[in-house]
Amino acid sequence: MPLRSANAVDFWRGVALVSIFINHIPGFYYERFTHRNFGISDSAELFVFLAGWSARSLAGRRDTLSMQNMILRVGGRGVQLYAAQILITMVAIALIAMAALWWENPLLLEWHNAAAVFQDPVSTHVGLVTLRHHLGFFDILPLYVVLMFGAVGLAVLHRAAPALILPLSLLIYLAAHIWRLNVSTWPVEGEWLFNPFCWQLIFVLGFVCAGDGALDYGRQNARRLRILGAAIAIGGLGIVVFHWWPDPLNMPQPSLLFVLDKSYLSPLRLIHALGLVLLFAGAFGGLAAKMPWMASYFCLLGRNSLNVFCVGSVISLIGQLARFRFGGNLLTDTLVLVVGLSILGLTGWLSELRARLRNAPLQNSGP
Amino acid sequence: MAFRIEGAAQKRAPAKLWPLGLLLAACLAASPVLAQVPVAPPQTEPQVPQVSAPCDAPASDIATPTALPHLSDALERKQPIRVLAIGSSSTVGVGASSPNRNYPNQLSALLQKSFGALELTMVNKGVSGEVAAATADRIKTQVALDKPTLVLWQVGTNDALSRVSVESFGETVRTTLRWLRSHEIDVVLVGLQYTPNVVKDDHYHAIRDQLRKIADEENVLHVRRFAAMEFLSRVKGSQLLVQDNLHHNDLGYRCMAEHIAHAMVVSSFLRKKSRIKNVPQN
Repeated sequence: MPLRSANAVDFWRGVALVSIFINHIPGFYYERFTHRNFGISDSAELFVFLAGWSARSLAGRRDTLSMQNMILRVGGRGVQLYAAQILITMVAIALIAMAALWWENPLLLEWHNAAAVFQDPVSTHVGLVTLRHHLGFFDILPLYVVLMFGAVGLAVLHRAAPALILPLSLLIYLAAHIWRLNVSTWPVEGEWLFNPFCWQLIFVLGFVCAGDGALDYGRQNARRLRILGAAIAIGGLGIVVFHWWPDPLNMPQPSLLFVLDKSYLSPLRLIHALGLVLLFAGAFGGLAAKMPWMASYFCLLGRNSLNVFCVGSVISLIGQLARFRFGGNLLTDTLVLVVGLSILGLTGWLSELRARLRNAPLQNSGP
Repeated sequence: MAFRIEGAAQKRAPAKLWPLGLLLAACLAASPVLAQVPVAPPQTEPQVPQVSAPCDAPASDIATPTALPHLSDALERKQPIRVLAIGSSSTVGVGASSPNRNYPNQLSALLQKSFGALELTMVNKGVSGEVAAATADRIKTQVALDKPTLVLWQVGTNDALSRVSVESFGETVRTTLRWLRSHEIDVVLVGLQYTPNVVKDDHYHAIRDQLRKIADEENVLHVRRFAAMEFLSRVKGSQLLVQDNLHHNDLGYRCMAEHIAHAMVVSSFLRKKSRIKNVPQN
């Protein structure tokens, strides 16, 4: 028995998790099938949007969850995410170091921004713990940590003055684009790949869309919204396939608003991601009816997203090392895919088994 | 984000003297008697930087000079030069004792010296461990934001290690080079890193060959880091790499900067010469 029944949010989160796992292996054969090849946004947008969506239920309602408990709950989730980030980063560093030792190839130490850890360990350890140094492909959780701590403020604002949430979020987003605001990295000079000033907007949009008002509006206008979503998705496909969007060099100022940049979550990427949400928002029921196996697999992953994400990040790296060792051929890639997806499923299953065992005595010893 | 504008202030003063120097040179040339006297020309042409003894490698191992038309134009018109250095950890400068010692900053100083009075801005956007496809994505936005005269693209090592297919790597590099050319931006490709451990790695060599082939076909200046570093380590036994054999130490970054500076200046010079040759004589 799963912890909760299959639902669209878990399903799409599962899809995002699988596609993040695949996209994080450069040169991987199956990467060509993920949705980023058919549009201008990728699974990161979907993942963060759904994170905002879930934060809404975490923040609870005024009548059922006190302000204090809400702050502890949302803040506690932030701490949990932070711990996860530190854990997977350390595992990744060790994997890279082990591979370099094992295969006597020091160039591997350079992978994914890890070089600084080995070359400049004193500063870099400070950078790792303060989230100012990220390994490549291990850079979305820091965003998630910041967003979750920010969600405490978001949830408070939601109770105090909900009408302010979207304008404020949009203002921060625009300011970041106009003045090129981002968080700097250290000790390696650079910027966060996922600019939190920009990516907060899609998180907040997820939070807002999960509200009753937005859901009612969505239900009433489902058809119209789906057509809008389809138009946006076709536009995104056109930009990728036929290069419909003008050249970044011909853009007016501030050009960051008109290019297709991931760090700053350019408006066009954001619109595309939201378009996909509109297009597929109602698709879960049909998919689940036609392919129940697939639906329950993705929902299983989605329900246990943090554990699955962490394991997925590590397996992606193992997959890269496997490709380094055995070559980037179809056989290696298929094995990596099959083993990887199985381990992700196992992670979800074990997470639920553990939760059930933990809950069981409580249920038995109830009044 | 390393952002440096070097020497703009102190170099401006001599710039004002240039017209005078040119006038003087013109007068001297016009005088039939004095024309025989060797006169030091004013520094209107870039001075080719000398490669220091520890970094000295055969020119054929460093690069084949290839025209950099937009850099040459900027030099000719005395316009400010903007260079975008993009790539992975060798661009970031991992292993250097300080950020000033990474290759873009050392290169910036060398070019400043060679190009004399011109204002040169070096923007460093290296991301350690990045593959070509990820850099190619960033290049478009960075170019739109920074509007460089020239892009230094250090590429290949991580694609080779990640076993990115030769075709897909080639396609990425080629498309990006063509895009840059269509926007009148020069490119210098800085090739793969050398360590003894990769000498027997077939895929590493395949990526290296592909990069060389693309550079030839697209007529892009390609600094052959692997060959130059292999020569230095084999013949001179230079300690170019720090203890773990991975990263250039400061000397290594200096050699890299010197090789690139040499190749760039010679290449910018080459175009001028060829253009002078093509000018119809009255």
